[in-house]
Amino acid sequence: MKVMKVELFKYTGKITRTIIGGFLVFLLSSCSGFETHPYDVNIKGEKDINAKNMAIIEKEFANKEELRIAFISDTHLWLSDARDQVEDVNRRNVDFVVHCGDLTDTATEKEYEWSRDVLTGLNCPFVALIGNHDFLGTGNQTYEVMYGACDFSFIASRVKFICLNTNAVEYDYLASVPNFDFMEEQFTKDTDKFDRTVIVMHAAPYSDQFNNNVCKAFRRYLDFAPGLMCCIYGHNHNDTVSDIYGDGLMFYAIDCAKNRNYRIMTIKKDSYEIEQIRY
Amino acid sequence: MKLNKFVISIVMLTCSLHVMAGDSLDIQQSKFERRLERSHNAWLSLIPTHFVIQNAGNMGTLSAGIGWSYGKNRKWETELLVGFIPKHDSSRPKVTTTLKGNYIPWRIDLSKITGKIPEDRWKFAPLTASLYLNTVYGHEFWKSQPGRYPDDYYQFMSTKFRLNVALGERIEFKIPESKRRRHSRIALFYEFSTCDLYIRSMFQSSDVKLKDIIGISIGAKFFTN
Repeated sequence: MKVMKVELFKYTGKITRTIIGGFLVFLLSSCSGFETHPYDVNIKGEKDINAKNMAIIEKEFANKEELRIAFISDTHLWLSDARDQVEDVNRRNVDFVVHCGDLTDTATEKEYEWSRDVLTGLNCPFVALIGNHDFLGTGNQTYEVMYGACDFSFIASRVKFICLNTNAVEYDYLASVPNFDFMEEQFTKDTDKFDRTVIVMHAAPYSDQFNNNVCKAFRRYLDFAPGLMCCIYGHNHNDTVSDIYGDGLMFYAIDCAKNRNYRIMTIKKDSYEIEQIRY
Repeated sequence: MKLNKFVISIVMLTCSLHVMAGDSLDIQQSKFERRLERSHNAWLSLIPTHFVIQNAGNMGTLSAGIGWSYGKNRKWETELLVGFIPKHDSSRPKVTTTLKGNYIPWRIDLSKITGKIPEDRWKFAPLTASLYLNTVYGHEFWKSQPGRYPDDYYQFMSTKFRLNVALGERIEFKIPESKRRRHSRIALFYEFSTCDLYIRSMFQSSDVKLKDIIGISIGAKFFTN
């Protein structure tokens, strides 16, 4: 009986030591620090990304003859696909990249950092729109600190890119989304510096996020955009090209990272083409 | 703390009832007295056995609360904590509450290892396991998807409630009886924790590694039992 007890003690001692040892290894290898909360909006690393990159774009490509822009979208948590996408974009000699929203899946601070880590692998400037998933919890506050305002615009090669927040459902339709005042301001401001316009948004008209009460009003407003070329959007996780309103204005959908394709837009002096890239 | 006072006053009231019942110099407890004693004991078990304070752990920068340790060899603990999230870059600071359950399967008496310290003084728990539910307060967070969304629009339960798991270790010091003032035992602990959203992200993306989702917390507990 006594022998058995001793044996048992030895055995439990072994288990305990293994556990302690295991823990020390665990301690060394893991752990990202003190975690306050997934939605704590305590942003480490780069902030205000859109403003910085727009300044570079406006400076470097102000008078470029031919502009090449990659449009990517809906990264969510398909981070390894997104990494491959970034590598592919880097090989194709584009001037800058526009991400059409849904940088995250649940808008936690960490997810924002993960997708930013992927995007900073790009060898050219990039800007990112806010997607509906990026609003969850305090996600929109994280977006505003990390990227900037939800509506923004910039000019390159005399083309104005107007990036609109169209995620009306996230505000329960209580906010000015889409913001017509912002649109009007953009259509009328700096008209001496641009001749053509490209509209970029996350959710297209008639989608489950858009304020569908104003779909037609939105279209009428777009008529004031000088030299409107086309609209580009994400959200739907497909690669549809459609004339949503049936009046010749083309809407190009940008697929999600998981489906491993995106588009490159080439803007020439008086024309443009959009090419679908698979990788 | 208000609740605490309330519980204590109720317990004291029931205690005084017992004293009055004891006046009836009956050596054999009556059915009433036995029932009363059982009821006293039930109420007494509601008095918290410890105070706990810890940092991080996805429940705020700092959290503090009360706890109950119970079971054979005090292997189980239930704790109620209130945490504070500073403003950081958000619109305002936030408060969280946490209901936490701990399991401490083993405690090793360190006197058996070194022999230099008195018996039963220092104890080491090589493993503690915890499960806790955290609630964050604020209009930005919903407990279930608001009606404006189509059904199952976002494929997870809630932005308000987070289920967390933690594994850790602790060391306990039993204060010698002559030196006790407010507490009988003090425990220092650390734990590694993560939450449901992060575990989900690990399943969704092979790019997310364990080290990306694990955070460390340290804390202390002050026991009266």
